[in-house]
Amino acid sequence: MIYIDEDLCKGCHLCVYMCYQNVYAISSNANKKGVLLPYVNFEDRCTNCGVCEVVCPDQAITVNVNKNWWVNKDTNFNPRFNVK
Amino acid sequence: MVDNNSPNKFIPYLREDRLPHIFCAGCGNGTIINAFLKGMENAGMDFDNIAMVSGIGCSSRIPGYMKCDSLHTTHGRALSFATGLKVSNPNLDVVVFTGDGDAASIGGNHLIHAARKNVNLTVICINNNIYGMTGGQISPTSPKESFATTAPYGSKDYPFKLAELVATAGATYSARWTTLQVENLIGSIKKGFENDGFSFIEVVSQCPTYYGRKNKIRTPTAMALTMKNNTIFKFEADKMKEKDIIGKIVVGEFVNKQHPEYSDNIQKLSKENFGDNTLINSAYEVLK
Repeated sequence: MIYIDEDLCKGCHLCVYMCYQNVYAISSNANKKGVLLPYVNFEDRCTNCGVCEVVCPDQAITVNVNKNWWVNKDTNFNPRFNVK
Repeated sequence: MVDNNSPNKFIPYLREDRLPHIFCAGCGNGTIINAFLKGMENAGMDFDNIAMVSGIGCSSRIPGYMKCDSLHTTHGRALSFATGLKVSNPNLDVVVFTGDGDAASIGGNHLIHAARKNVNLTVICINNNIYGMTGGQISPTSPKESFATTAPYGSKDYPFKLAELVATAGATYSARWTTLQVENLIGSIKKGFENDGFSFIEVVSQCPTYYGRKNKIRTPTAMALTMKNNTIFKFEADKMKEKDIIGKIVVGEFVNKQHPEYSDNIQKLSKENFGDNTLINSAYEVLK
């Protein structure tokens, strides 16, 4: 699941821009703060690269997708080769 | 698997009662907080042993949101305070958050002399090309022909190249990245922590509120797109002519070397002449 904290999000849409798989989309209705929140449109496309989590300036996005498990372990770990 | 109510993985390091933070929507400072915390985790640092020092500015509000020891000091003098902190307690990992006006304009001499002395600090300089907190004045790193409150006809000066300046002044690690190259930025912060000496990481950040409004790029995504189009890597820029590079952001690592470090030199001097390390006058040790 990908969670977006609606209290923390300020609606900068950097996640929409940075996601290379176009997982996110912008909702058409503003919430009570006047923010057009992003929502998760295609969750099955997510590859768990973690860029949206880091790039979100308001710490609103949590990615918990059970795919590409090696990404969260160590960024220097290469899954294809045993020998460095 | 984490349960459904799991918070963001960076929030345990932040003061939750102060969130959401004061930065504008789309400001790069929040991204740099995340990248710093992830780089710190990758380097295996102890978060309780980190002391953060900052000056004045938008970027210098970051240590106020962290759950660690922090010091909010006078304008431009963050590096001087950090040098004193590091020399008096060499076991501490001192991190300095400065902005471009803080490090390059009013604290320019402190920056080059801290780099010359090679003090063991990790300096993260957030360069948003404008004075954001005081209302959008021109800063030493504003690009040529950019507009600001104090430059209504466009700035005619050439900007400072901070990463190259610090590399020339004698720092042992210097790099420049933008907020969009997060993986490289995380790797650089990790290297800066592991490096024994002055590590300077300049992060070119977006400021949609002032820089974007004055230069007709109002949304954060438009600023990110402009920044991405103007970015060239260092190995690419080495082959280009100098007149083609004007106005571009050259990213990459500028120096990565080994050099004797300032607080180690002082400890060595103390051992040679007086036979012991320098004293740490801690209030806790007196109470014991």
